[in-house]
Amino acid sequence: MPNEMTIEENVLYIEALSHALRDEMRHDPSVMLMGQDIAGHGGAFKITKGFLDEFGPQRVRNTPIAESGTIGIATGAAILGQRPVIEMQFADFISCGFNQLVNVAAKMYWRTECAVPLVIRMPGGGGMGAGAFHSQNVESWFLHSPGLKVVAPAFSDDAYRLLRSAIKDPNPVIYFEHKFLYRRERTDLKGTEIKDRVVGEANVRRSGKDLTSISWGWMTHRVLEAAEIMAAEGVEIEVIDLPVLSPLDLDPILQSIEKTEHVAITHEATRTCGFGAELAARISDEAIWNLDGPVTRITYPDSPSPFNKKLEADRIPSVDVICDGWRQALQS
Amino acid sequence: MDQPANSSTSNTGAPPEVSPAAAWLDTGSDHALREMHAYMRLTREWDLRYEKMFKTGALSKWYSSVGNEAATVAAASAIEKGDALVSLHRDAGAILRHYVDIESLIPEIFPSNMNLIRQPLGGDSRERLFRLACQMLGRQHGYSAGHERSYHYNHMEPEHGLIHIGMISHLGSMIPVAAGAALSFQQQKSDRVAINFIGEGATSTGDFHEGLNIASVWKLPFILIIENNHWAFSTPTSQQYACDNLASRAIGYGMPGVEVDGNDPIAMHQVMQEAVQRARSGEGPTLVEAHVGRHRGHSEGDDSLDQVPGDELKGYLENDPMDLIETRLVNGGIVSRAWLEEIREKCAALIMEVVDEAMSMPEPEPNSDRSIHAE
Repeated sequence: MPNEMTIEENVLYIEALSHALRDEMRHDPSVMLMGQDIAGHGGAFKITKGFLDEFGPQRVRNTPIAESGTIGIATGAAILGQRPVIEMQFADFISCGFNQLVNVAAKMYWRTECAVPLVIRMPGGGGMGAGAFHSQNVESWFLHSPGLKVVAPAFSDDAYRLLRSAIKDPNPVIYFEHKFLYRRERTDLKGTEIKDRVVGEANVRRSGKDLTSISWGWMTHRVLEAAEIMAAEGVEIEVIDLPVLSPLDLDPILQSIEKTEHVAITHEATRTCGFGAELAARISDEAIWNLDGPVTRITYPDSPSPFNKKLEADRIPSVDVICDGWRQALQS
Repeated sequence: MDQPANSSTSNTGAPPEVSPAAAWLDTGSDHALREMHAYMRLTREWDLRYEKMFKTGALSKWYSSVGNEAATVAAASAIEKGDALVSLHRDAGAILRHYVDIESLIPEIFPSNMNLIRQPLGGDSRERLFRLACQMLGRQHGYSAGHERSYHYNHMEPEHGLIHIGMISHLGSMIPVAAGAALSFQQQKSDRVAINFIGEGATSTGDFHEGLNIASVWKLPFILIIENNHWAFSTPTSQQYACDNLASRAIGYGMPGVEVDGNDPIAMHQVMQEAVQRARSGEGPTLVEAHVGRHRGHSEGDDSLDQVPGDELKGYLENDPMDLIETRLVNGGIVSRAWLEEIREKCAALIMEVVDEAMSMPEPEPNSDRSIHAE
């Protein structure tokens, strides 16, 4: 099958996901989709609209409401040569399939040397007043489970490229796609090289000499906005985006800190044991003598997500909160 | 013991029909009985060896298959090359039946004109048995190179159509995974099937429900075998489920459920053959509830068997599937007691030799760096 690539300008994040799935399904007949309401209906977000017609009911399967059963079945099929891609209707629902993921799929290769080429797409994140069970950022659950890879792209081009790489990867990949970005973020798909696995990536999205900012997903967009404001104040932020959280590419972070001597991590996930804590520990291990102040974390508080949009907005790091966090980090 | 005779439960709600259980004498299946017996005996000697090693402290943990041999050997006699076996910790019988060509290891165990129920997979049976022993003992040559315990491993030999997926400790978790193996066969438009064993305790898990429901909705070529020994660790069935039997749960999933005497390998094999045939022809999954006895504790060295009332335990021990099949063989004039003893000695000697060899093999390298990711 040809490895055709979508090359288009100004592509919405959500369209990039559809393109990646469609291109990879055309390319590899062992790729199959499973999820709730993904077939005729095209999924809660319509990402697989039209897929049933093109690829048929064997490869595009509605599942019953059974996250654990679905992940288990996908794992068994993956061991024997299929490449299942599961759509969690909302990332929050993954908790119902937790055991299959962290104990069966994640540990399978280490235990048995049988590869599990499985992707679980995780529409996650808040900002839409969707309440405690449709808004969470649960990447830490999986970063703590050896054997899984974790992806959280912020831009359409990364989303396209990394979804295709995740499907080609012989390991289980948890792919966080941010719902707030679905119909807001647009980037050109230029046809960059698609790797056949997910590797660590830390991309400098803006150069600066005063402070290193680390973020992923939606927060990278707020960080970039905040960096503009700081630039007007004469402070230059170096913005590092992590489209891949695990495996982690730490070197670009350490190199940046060597230059800036200050670092702040911004994440939408709750604070305690969020990935920021692990990054802070890793930076302390490797670069504490290069730092001219403590590692700053700008995060959601340790709280579920409220329904009321104003209450929710108070908890998600805003552009102002991010700027304040940086200013404090630079004063210390 | 509350063990119904061979009966089946259809998904129409019709009264159970009696399955043609011990018709073996009429159908000339003395060969079948000999074949079942040979693998059951090999399995029994396998377990007795490790039980002994556990008692002497040579082994830190053992879960015995004693009492499950008829059900497991008979079930694995119904699958073939290319089918997937997904096993638990009391399924040594299914594993040995699937892995090993006993005639190649114990020559002349069967008469030369014997018609085998199933053909062996091919490949090196002695090597498989040896590696299995290394796996049990945590040695480098084991299937998980010492990283996983006993039956928690996978073994694949694509060239011989051997597909074996082992367990994790969480009971019931492998049901969807086994159904997923069946899904891969369906995707490939192959007529292969997947079979999976669980205990009656795992029928209480969510994965039992989710796995069977999806398997039935998608008509997957899947057979789930409940080895009901009436005790989950120390919990009796009265505290595990409130229905009369587990096979009837199949009605709720829209699939056939069959209850069978798991001490009778011929009855078990017939039930499995029907289920496998059904799966191969695209008609979907079957639930099999095989009643077996509880002969040992949950694991060796625990006192969970103390919970089993004396009369009930006596009933299980008096219906030892090994004794039952040997009595049938002798009473049917098929083989003599002396011949059975000769087979027992040969099986015991083979197991002793293989396990001793495995014991002498190296432990895993202390710094072995096993990857968490496939490359």
